[in-house]
Amino acid sequence: MSVNVFRQEFRLNRRGFLIWTAMIMAVLVLYLSFFPYIQSPEYSELLEGFPAALKDAFNIHQIVFEEINYYHALQVLPYLLLLTSIYAAMLAGRLISREADLNTAEFLFTRPVTRNRILAAKVTVFLLMMVLLWMLLYMAALVLAAAVDPGAFNTTRQLWVHLAGLLATLAAGGIAFAAAPLINQVSAATTLGVALGFGFFLVDALSKTTEKLHFLRYFTVYYYAGFEDAAAGKPFYPGMLFLLLVFLLGTALGFLLLHRKEYTG
Amino acid sequence: MPEAIALVNLTKYYGKNRGVENLNFAVEEGEIFGFIGPNGAGKTTTIRTLMGLIRPTAGEARIFGSTIPPGGGPLYHQVGYLPAEVNYYPEMSGQELIDYAAGFYPRVDRRWIRKLVEILQFDPSRRIRTYSTGNRKKLGIIQALLHRPRLVVLDEPTSGLDPLMRQNFFNLLQELNVLGMTIFFSTHVLEEIERICHRVGLIKEGRLIHLSPLEELPGRRMKLITLEVSGGGPPRGLPESWGQPVPVEGRPGRYRLAVQAPPGEIVREMARLDLEYIQISDPSIEELFLAMYDAPEKGEAANVR
Repeated sequence: MSVNVFRQEFRLNRRGFLIWTAMIMAVLVLYLSFFPYIQSPEYSELLEGFPAALKDAFNIHQIVFEEINYYHALQVLPYLLLLTSIYAAMLAGRLISREADLNTAEFLFTRPVTRNRILAAKVTVFLLMMVLLWMLLYMAALVLAAAVDPGAFNTTRQLWVHLAGLLATLAAGGIAFAAAPLINQVSAATTLGVALGFGFFLVDALSKTTEKLHFLRYFTVYYYAGFEDAAAGKPFYPGMLFLLLVFLLGTALGFLLLHRKEYTG
Repeated sequence: MPEAIALVNLTKYYGKNRGVENLNFAVEEGEIFGFIGPNGAGKTTTIRTLMGLIRPTAGEARIFGSTIPPGGGPLYHQVGYLPAEVNYYPEMSGQELIDYAAGFYPRVDRRWIRKLVEILQFDPSRRIRTYSTGNRKKLGIIQALLHRPRLVVLDEPTSGLDPLMRQNFFNLLQELNVLGMTIFFSTHVLEEIERICHRVGLIKEGRLIHLSPLEELPGRRMKLITLEVSGGGPPRGLPESWGQPVPVEGRPGRYRLAVQAPPGEIVREMARLDLEYIQISDPSIEELFLAMYDAPEKGEAANVR
């Protein structure tokens, strides 16, 4: 890994990281602080009126509104993952495609450092930012949960929930790393990030609406993250391992493609 | 002399489109080598192959005896590169870019960087997005030379620089060459070749069509004469070896000649004519190529439109 590239990439992406972290954190605060209100009988009655398919699609079950661990894992985390997966895919895509878009490849890839070492530095920046983001989300969740429902938040179970969220986010980034060498415009990388994030979220929701569409869940990171299992204290290890593999394989493919990519200007 | 650059049957195709074909030549260490050709001839393709940005379809390119490794690497410790179009990260300042570039090399002499900044009269404190083309070029030159490379590859280095800066830049290159730096640069400005090159290679439509010391560059002494004689009509009585004057399109009565003759002869012949207008200039690369390589017969070689 090139430390020089790592430092520079961290500096260049620091501002974006802070903005995204602040935004995702705001969503976390908003949703989690809503927990006491959601337990009111009026709210339960309102939710009872929802169609069953809709309730299934968005994890609206009784237990979710009674227990903060399930509420956080099934009502808050999916929205956090929607945002983090968009950010992860955008960041990973931009880290690579920016060099082609700005024509800075002629500067960066003619230095005495191999492309593999350059990409390793970029991937490290990505990893560091994602781990930091999820650590901050975990800590913020602990503080907030302690405020809204003291003593009820299971820190170990929630650690697994957040770890699953991190791995799902990394998987989205891995897919973007694999695609990024084929993309020559930052705007296309941004579009990819948004499409990937929303795509996973909507396909996951759709897969829960009817039995016929159940197979679709295998095409989203939500299924493999297994938030409900993690909240119940039984993390879905194979799924989490699969997410890690997606990240590793996607990144490895990114290395291969970037190594072979021609910069024709 | 050991070879700084060697191209062996270097061929590059972009799909079905020709980049370069069977390029074979070497640049010796310590040389200033001019790589000349019209736009689209294959100069940048050759340079990008040398810099590892694209891979050859066939043949190979070597720097200091090593084949260009796929994916770049330590070989470029000894190489500086200035692309034709200089693009950097717009949110960085000039100084930040210089520091970033310097960070890739061990033991960079900061005094040398300050000297480069001074020679080029460059203000590194501003954001790159605010720089003019000329300032971006200066930044490009600084990052290409800051580690005192053994070989510097320059693609159209002076485009965007004002005449004073060109002068400073060429003086700097000559100083560095005296200290042992090999310089490979592409241009389509003949005057630049004349100023500093030891040897030249001419490329046209992807093929090397001439390779020689500067003194043997064909058409080196060519002058373009545009003239108009009193009363109109073509000038008469000029030496047969000068070829037939060609009318200038859109300017009735005006004719053009491409002449290879000593300046004294040109002045004497012009003095015999009753002239309304005269302009004597150096041909551009395109005009030179048109005159030297596109004319089917020697008699038409001077007919530059």
